[in-house]
Amino acid sequence: MTNFNWLLDGSIVGLYLLVTMVAGLMVRKYVGKVEHFLVAGREMDVYLGIASLAATEFGIVTCMYTAQNGYEKGFAGATPGILMALAMAGVGLTGFVIKPLRDSGVMTIPELLEKQFGPRIRWAAGVVIVLGGLLNMGVFLRTGGQFLVLVAGLDVRYLEIMMTALLVGVAVYTILGGMLSVLVTDFLQFVVMSIGLILVTVLILMNVGWEKLVTTVETNYGAGGFNPFVNPTMGWQYVLFNLMLNTAAVLTWQTIIARVLAAKDTNTGRKVYTRTSFFFVCRFLIPGIWGIAALATLGPVANTLEAMPHYLSTAVPAGLMGVLIAAMLAADMSTDSSYMLTWCSVIYNDILAPFRKRPWSERKGLFVNRTIIALIGVFLLLYGLWYPLKGDLWTYLGVTGTIYLASISVLLIACCYWRRANSWGAGASIIVSAVIPVTYLVMEQVPSTAGLAKSIGPYYSGIATYLLSGAAMIIGSTIKPQSRAEGRPAHV
Amino acid sequence: MSNHWFWWALTMACVIWYSTITVYVAIKGAADIKNMLARLGAETKRDAEES
Repeated sequence: MTNFNWLLDGSIVGLYLLVTMVAGLMVRKYVGKVEHFLVAGREMDVYLGIASLAATEFGIVTCMYTAQNGYEKGFAGATPGILMALAMAGVGLTGFVIKPLRDSGVMTIPELLEKQFGPRIRWAAGVVIVLGGLLNMGVFLRTGGQFLVLVAGLDVRYLEIMMTALLVGVAVYTILGGMLSVLVTDFLQFVVMSIGLILVTVLILMNVGWEKLVTTVETNYGAGGFNPFVNPTMGWQYVLFNLMLNTAAVLTWQTIIARVLAAKDTNTGRKVYTRTSFFFVCRFLIPGIWGIAALATLGPVANTLEAMPHYLSTAVPAGLMGVLIAAMLAADMSTDSSYMLTWCSVIYNDILAPFRKRPWSERKGLFVNRTIIALIGVFLLLYGLWYPLKGDLWTYLGVTGTIYLASISVLLIACCYWRRANSWGAGASIIVSAVIPVTYLVMEQVPSTAGLAKSIGPYYSGIATYLLSGAAMIIGSTIKPQSRAEGRPAHV
Repeated sequence: MSNHWFWWALTMACVIWYSTITVYVAIKGAADIKNMLARLGAETKRDAEES
């Protein structure tokens, strides 16, 4: 049973979808060049950047996992959000990495890496970024569909059809308008998403009450529900791993970096980072409170991932339910469009670079970009929606993310600040950061090594990946004889 | 509240900050879009005239 009212809530959702599609399609006439399509002609200003970054980095999948964190770990589950906010504010204030990156005028991270490490590393980095990113994104659609089905009380048989229609709609305006459509729709989606998140949170705080939320966490998790260092499922290794993971994401996750690259200048990019940083606390704490409220109301449940949508389906009244679903659709659509465009930009700019011996015309470039986005959409449908994923979803997301984040963050920092960094170090770093997480996953699955993998744990494995990836860069770069061409800072 | 003032303060900060920034970004972001499209429109017109 759900409070979703087809006439009232359905109209709100329908209106939102109509306005978004019209806005996304209207700006397509401004796209005349590949630069317009991929980085909006580098004309993005601060507040549009804040809206776009916040909307992109909050999808339904984010809401589901952060709520699950709240349900399973209490308030301490918001720790990754606090760490990411600190990392983002630090990078924005200092300009660490993002300043030389934006100053260089590149459209993607691998394009900058080529200046220091050569075309092969550019290509390899492009492949790592796209593989990690697409595999990561592959699970967004189904998780988003699960949330919508549970909250709206729809028949689960319609999940695939509903999410296919949603993806086709997003793909149409992204294919036609590129980054311009993404920015304009992100703006609308930020406003709708934020209204929904704030209203539902206020409703929960009023109905459940702060005292009950705190008592629930105290009863279920004790001091560990408030302090990650004393939580038996977290500890210092969880905090350190998440600090490394979130710092790497802030520096290199292509969908975040795309906002710096689309900014009209470096200072605008830095301001977008600094002023959006606190949003990342909200991104974890607000759904975390929804998860705690689910625990307080429903008690222990078998599937903790579904606890929050089950709770919201009866706790949110008709009318507000339409706003909530429109907000979550907004969150998902902005994430899908930005992610499709971002991986497209790397495929076009870096992986296809060796095939562009002579520069392509703007017309051909736009056609190729649009075709790539369409193909990414097809991949997402086949892999993410119609192919049932086996195994633990969180481990899957963590592994695919770490393969990308560990190597690319090391390469990017070395590229910007270490003159002696070279292709041997870069290659070694890419290999190490892929081998450790994949080995850990295999060890988990093989019965004879499963016990060892469990005793090591995902956090130590993750920390080792970042540290050894950095060590591989230093060792590889040190043992390679230096040529005359090497030793120049990449961004100069 | 007194026992867990940090989380109470952070939750209140989230609700207040997020509400404020939503209104502020909604107003200023709309102006950003208008200016961005005006600049791109002028650029497209200039390119068309040159070619």
